[in-house]
Amino acid sequence: MSNHADIWAAPLLAAGILAVGAYTVAVIHLAVGGWLAQARPGVGLLLQPARSAAVLMAQPATATERPDRAMAALSPALYAALAAVAVTVVPWSRSFSIADVETGIVLWGTAEALVIVAMFLHGWSSNSHQPLLAAYRFVAAGVSYLLLSMFVLIAAAIPAESLQLSRIVESQAGLWNVVRQPLGLPLFVVVALGSATWGPLDLADGSDVSGGTAAEASGIPGLVWMWARAAMLAAFAAMSAAVFLGGWHGPVLPGPAWMAVKTVAMITVLSAAGHLLARVPAERFVTWAWVVLLPLGFADLAIAGLGSLR
Amino acid sequence: MTVDLAFWVFGLGAVTTGWRVFRTASMVRATFLLLASFLNVGAIILLLGGAYLGVALLFMMTVEMAVMAIFMVAFMMNPAGLNPMTMVHQPRLAAAAGWVAFVAGAVMAGRGNFPERPLPGGRPVIADLGAELMGRSMLIFETAGVALVATMIGAVVLSSRRSRFGDEAGDEGSLPPALDPDTGSYPPGVIPEGVGSGHDHHGGHG
Amino acid sequence: MLTVAAALFGLGLWGALGQQSIVMLLMGIELMVNGIMLAGAGLWAYAAGGDPKGQLLVVIAMAVMAVEMAVGLAVVVAVYRVRQVDMTEGLDSLAR
Repeated sequence: MSNHADIWAAPLLAAGILAVGAYTVAVIHLAVGGWLAQARPGVGLLLQPARSAAVLMAQPATATERPDRAMAALSPALYAALAAVAVTVVPWSRSFSIADVETGIVLWGTAEALVIVAMFLHGWSSNSHQPLLAAYRFVAAGVSYLLLSMFVLIAAAIPAESLQLSRIVESQAGLWNVVRQPLGLPLFVVVALGSATWGPLDLADGSDVSGGTAAEASGIPGLVWMWARAAMLAAFAAMSAAVFLGGWHGPVLPGPAWMAVKTVAMITVLSAAGHLLARVPAERFVTWAWVVLLPLGFADLAIAGLGSLR
Repeated sequence: MTVDLAFWVFGLGAVTTGWRVFRTASMVRATFLLLASFLNVGAIILLLGGAYLGVALLFMMTVEMAVMAIFMVAFMMNPAGLNPMTMVHQPRLAAAAGWVAFVAGAVMAGRGNFPERPLPGGRPVIADLGAELMGRSMLIFETAGVALVATMIGAVVLSSRRSRFGDEAGDEGSLPPALDPDTGSYPPGVIPEGVGSGHDHHGGHG
Repeated sequence: MLTVAAALFGLGLWGALGQQSIVMLLMGIELMVNGIMLAGAGLWAYAAGGDPKGQLLVVIAMAVMAVEMAVGLAVVVAVYRVRQVDMTEGLDSLAR
């Protein structure tokens, strides 16, 4: 019932969606920041990310002493590829998703797990202690929220009785998952912020570790890393729109338009969280994740299970 | 045809990365080479038709290797491979055992009489697995679950600092890492007891 | 298929017996279980006709791997704290 794009069109489509998504994230992030600072964001805002990107591209890529070159090249590429893989399973309309695999939810989980690996490699590869420290604490936080994400996603899969994302979106025809499983979306937002190291969970690239894993990234590798983080945030926004906000369901506009609207709404929420919430210290987040969030995840799963018993 | 080719690519990839795990000097690379080996095996399983198995394998192994990387960097004295060294003992016995196992397995693979019942095409493997887990094999599944919980508790107890005697009492008998691991010299004021027997190993790899 | 699994098992055994460091030893054991899982999945697909018990075996093997790694790493941490060693040579007595 869903078309798979051809094998050579798939990476191009994914890259295209992510390019648009990442740019949207950058623009919205600046816009929300400006609005919160009560400055009036002008139209020049739309070109601001392009300007920063141009600056980064013109910058020479510096290298540290004895870096792990293979890993340094691999990690931004891996992170970007994971964002691409993540976005390929998102259904954009009733009949179209780039790769609607049977185990879409578990593939998403795998992508999230590999994000942890990519972040660690990025912090490790530059042979410098602040990035390594940031990568270490990110792995601790990452393993904590990873379990949470699987609980929340499985809870969303229960009413659909399938791990396939197109079926999950279809199962929301009557009622969106955000209403059926109220805990799901806030917990997923936590996971999204963690995976893209954004805002309150900016443990891998935070300013308290001098920029963290991105401290030694400059020039084009640095640009790819920044872009990949924004792309990952966009992928998470699209996924949460599909899984919790009813995907392409909507009265008047065609399916993809609704997906775009909901994705932009989620990006705004994530951006606002990034601007408004202070960064959580790693130890506190790990404690909080295991002691508070994980039981909430269980509760979400229980609600979903009870809901489907009827 | 492409499936066969893909199988050989992944299979050779799995074996090569598995072999490189023990040959590389950089410990972090060893961990991620092991992950690469697992990813190749997961891909093969996906090719075989085990949709959930393959992806679940990829997922689990990624998290395991991420945790392993943490421990590698913490405990291995040469995580970046900057000083090349070999850390093997009884190398000939180990290599012989490895070859014997491989040859025995390969001979069994080639000469064994396996029944030919290939996976039928339209079988809903994920639904099958779910039904099996929740139905007839529920007991096995529950036992595995209890074993995992016992493991979690055991791992936390083994490595936790809090014991029933107080918040820091789990550290009793623990020594801070030595300043110079080769000679075992400690910061002034720290007098380790009974440490002598534990430090002879450092002559092993010179 | 089974040859590849046997190769992985052999590599794992070589590593597990030959490596000095406990963490590398764990990785050898992981490779062995990896080989076993591949063999199990291969038999399931070709010789068992998709019987779900084959999938169950692989799932249980995954659980075993998780258990072994968790306990192994916890033991490494505990032993390191007391004895400052992370080599198998140092683990030659049960006493503290």
